[in-house]
Amino acid sequence: MAQTLTDTSLAAVERALNEERDEGAQRTSVMTHVVWAPATWLKAAERTLAGLSERHPSRTILLTPAPRRKDGIDALVEVRTFPVGSSSRCIASEVVELTLKGERARAPGSIVNPLLITDLPVFCRWRGEPDWESPELEQLVQVVDRLVVDSSEWGGLPASYERLADLCDRVAVSDIAWSRTERWRAVLAAQWPAIRRAKALEVRGPQADALLLAGWLRSRLRKKVELVHRDARTVRRLAVDGSVVEAPGGAAPTPSDLLSDQLDVFGRDPIYESAVSAAR
Amino acid sequence: MSTAAENPLLEGLKLRRTPEPCALVIFGASGDLTSRKLFPALYSLAVRRLLPERFGVIGVARTEQTTRQWAAAMKAAVKEHGRDDFDESVWSNLADGLRYVATDFADDEGQDAVVRELYELDEERGTEGNRVYYLAVPPAAFETIVNELGERRDSTRGWTRLIVEKPFGHDRASANGLNAVLSEHFGEHEVFRIDHYLGKETVQNMLALRFANGIFEPIWNRQFIDHVQITVAESIGVEGRAGFYESAGAIRDIFQNHLLQLVALTAMEPPIDFTADSVRNEKVKVLRSLHTPGPKSVVRGQYGPGLVEGEEVPGYREEESVDGESMTDTFVAAKLYVDNWRWADTPFYVRAGKRLARRETTIAIQFQRAPHPPFAEIAGDGLRPNVLLIHVQPDEGVSLAIGAKVPGQGMSIRTVHMDFVYGGTFRTGLPEAYERLILDAMLGDATLFTRADEVDEQWALVDTIVAAWNRDRPVFPNYEAGTWGPRSADELVQRDGRSWRRH
Repeated sequence: MAQTLTDTSLAAVERALNEERDEGAQRTSVMTHVVWAPATWLKAAERTLAGLSERHPSRTILLTPAPRRKDGIDALVEVRTFPVGSSSRCIASEVVELTLKGERARAPGSIVNPLLITDLPVFCRWRGEPDWESPELEQLVQVVDRLVVDSSEWGGLPASYERLADLCDRVAVSDIAWSRTERWRAVLAAQWPAIRRAKALEVRGPQADALLLAGWLRSRLRKKVELVHRDARTVRRLAVDGSVVEAPGGAAPTPSDLLSDQLDVFGRDPIYESAVSAAR
Repeated sequence: MSTAAENPLLEGLKLRRTPEPCALVIFGASGDLTSRKLFPALYSLAVRRLLPERFGVIGVARTEQTTRQWAAAMKAAVKEHGRDDFDESVWSNLADGLRYVATDFADDEGQDAVVRELYELDEERGTEGNRVYYLAVPPAAFETIVNELGERRDSTRGWTRLIVEKPFGHDRASANGLNAVLSEHFGEHEVFRIDHYLGKETVQNMLALRFANGIFEPIWNRQFIDHVQITVAESIGVEGRAGFYESAGAIRDIFQNHLLQLVALTAMEPPIDFTADSVRNEKVKVLRSLHTPGPKSVVRGQYGPGLVEGEEVPGYREEESVDGESMTDTFVAAKLYVDNWRWADTPFYVRAGKRLARRETTIAIQFQRAPHPPFAEIAGDGLRPNVLLIHVQPDEGVSLAIGAKVPGQGMSIRTVHMDFVYGGTFRTGLPEAYERLILDAMLGDATLFTRADEVDEQWALVDTIVAAWNRDRPVFPNYEAGTWGPRSADELVQRDGRSWRRH
C-alpha cells in the first residue's frame, strides 16, 4: 500500500511512513538515497530504482522539482517489503516521492534534512546535467556524502567537466559514465606495456565515455593522447593508434547494476578526478 | 599480470579475483558432494565470470560412463541444486572443458589416463600445467590418490593445489599419518583442508564483527562475558551416510571440525592481518589451549524414535544400515575452557547432534548481568542477560538481546532482540560456502582452510574425550528424536547454575 499526500508537511510524511511499516517486516537500511529527478528524468529514474532497493535497502527520497506550480509539497509514501530467503520474515525499504512545488523546489536541502536516517551515509543521484550555479545543487551538496551523476546525460561536454572538477573539492563524486568504462579500462590496462607509447585513442561510443577514457589514458600515462570520437549509444569500438582493441567479454552491466556499484563506493576517487581534469 | 606499481593503468580498477588458468580434477566425480555442491558452485562461479577464462574440469570416478553422460548428469545437478537460474550459454561454455575418466583410484593405467587428459586440456584450453585436485572421496581412498598424484607430479610446469574434504583422519594418529603422506609429495601451502563452515559468510562475518567494530573487542573477555554457547543442531538423521557415521559419530562428524573451528574463531586473539598464516596462527593458539575439565563435562547421546516437524521418525538404531546395537554417538555436548588470560574460567558450552528439534547453528555470547539494576525487583522479571547471537544457519545474521521498558505506566522491563539479518541488508545473494572455498583454493588463498597443526590440536582434544568414553558403556538411546538432546546435556549446564538458550 502507498499513501498519497497533497500539499502536505514532512511531519505527515513521517507519520505516513510509520503507518505504512508492516509490523512483520524489519526495516533495514544501509543509507539514505536521495534522487533529484526533474520531470523529464522521472520515468528513467523510477526504472533504475526498480529492483535497486532490493540490493540496497534504504530510505529512498525521490525529489521532483515543479517550480512553476503553486507552493507546496505532494508526497507518495510507500514501504516496499521483500521476503528474506525461504523464511517468513520480510525486510522493508522506504520510498518517499516528493514533488517540490513553487518555492519549495528551491529549498531541497531543508526538505531532505529531516528525512535523513541518522548516522548512515547519504547518496544523491542527480539525474540530468545540474545547473551548476543553482542553489538546489549547492544545498544538496552540503547535505550528502556522495553525489552520483551520469555525465553522458549532459549536453555541455567537455566544458561541464570543468564545473564538475570544481565540485569535487566539496563532495565526493561518482560518475556512472566512468563506471561504464571500467570494463574497457581493464582491457586497455591489459595492453601494458605496449600501450604506454599510445598516441591516439579512437572511440566509437557516447561522448562522455570517450572523453573519460581519453582523460584517463592521458592522466595515467602522463602524456598527450589524441582522441578521435564517433558517436554511438554504447561503446562499440576502441582502437589504440589504429589497432582495434578486443571488446570485453560478457554482458554490459545494466543501469541498475551501475548505480548499485556506485552506492557501494565511499570517499573520493582520485583516478576519476584526474581523468575528468584531463578530459577537457 | 603486472601489478598496479608497474602498470599505472591498473590503479583504481576493481579487478575481479579471477584465478590463473587451471584444470580442476575431481576425484569422486559421480558422488553426492560433486553433484549437490561442487558443480552448482562451479556453475555459480561461471555465472559471475569468476572462473579462469582458460579452465577445464576432469571428473574421475569408478562409475563407468562417458564424458557426455557425466556432463549430462552434472547439468541436471546444476539445474536441481544451483542457486542461479540456468543459462544454457554459461553451461555450454563450462561443459566444453569437461572430461571424464572412469577408473579405480589405485589403477595406474587409469591415473595415467587422467594425466593424459590434463595434458590435452593444457593443449586445448591453455590451462598451463596448473592443477587443482579435489578429493571428494571417502577417507580410505585419500592415501592411494595422494600417492598416485605425488608419483605423477610434474614439478616443472605450473602450480598444484590439493583440496581435501573432511573427515581428515579418524583420530590424531591417523590424521598425522595422512599429513605425513601429504607432506611427502606436497608442501603445506599446496594443501587445502576444507571445513565448509569456514566458507560461510556469517562465519567470516564473525571476524568482521569482532575486529571491525570497536565496541565488541573491549568486552570480549572473561570480565564481561559470562559464558559462550555454540550449537550445531541438525533435524535430519544419517540420510544414507550410515556407513561413515557408524564409525564417526557426532564427535568426529561435527565436533572435531565445525564446532571446534567455531570455538577458535570466537575465542581467537586479533590477527595482525587477514593473511592465511596470521589467522591460522591465532586459531591454533586457541585450539592448543582448549581443555575440558573432566569426563563429567562431556555428554554423549543417541536418538531414539520421536517426532520431528510433526512426523514420526525412527531411532538411530532403526535407521537403514545401522547396527541394531550401535553405540555410536549422535549427540555430543561439552564444557570447554580456553586456558589463556582472555578466557580463563569462562565456560564454552558446545553441543552438536542429529535429530534435534530444529536445524540451527548459532554462537551465543552471554554477557554478565547488570551489576545493580536500580529498578524494583519485579520490574526485571522478564529480563534475561544480554546475549549477542550469531546465526550461522539458517537465516544468517546477528542479533543482540537487550532489556527495554515495556510502554505504559510503571517500570516493567522485557528482553527484546535487535536483529541484523544478513540476507535482508545485503541482498546480493549469499554465495554458497563451496563457491568461496573453490575460488580461494584456485587463487592459492588458504585463510579459510584448516592447517595441519590445527587438525592435530582438534584431534588431540577429541582423542582425550574418546579415551574416557571407551571406559564406560552408556545406555543408548537416551534422547527422543525431535528434542534438544539427553537430560544429561541440560544437567551439564545446570550444574553451573546456567541453562541452554531457550529456542
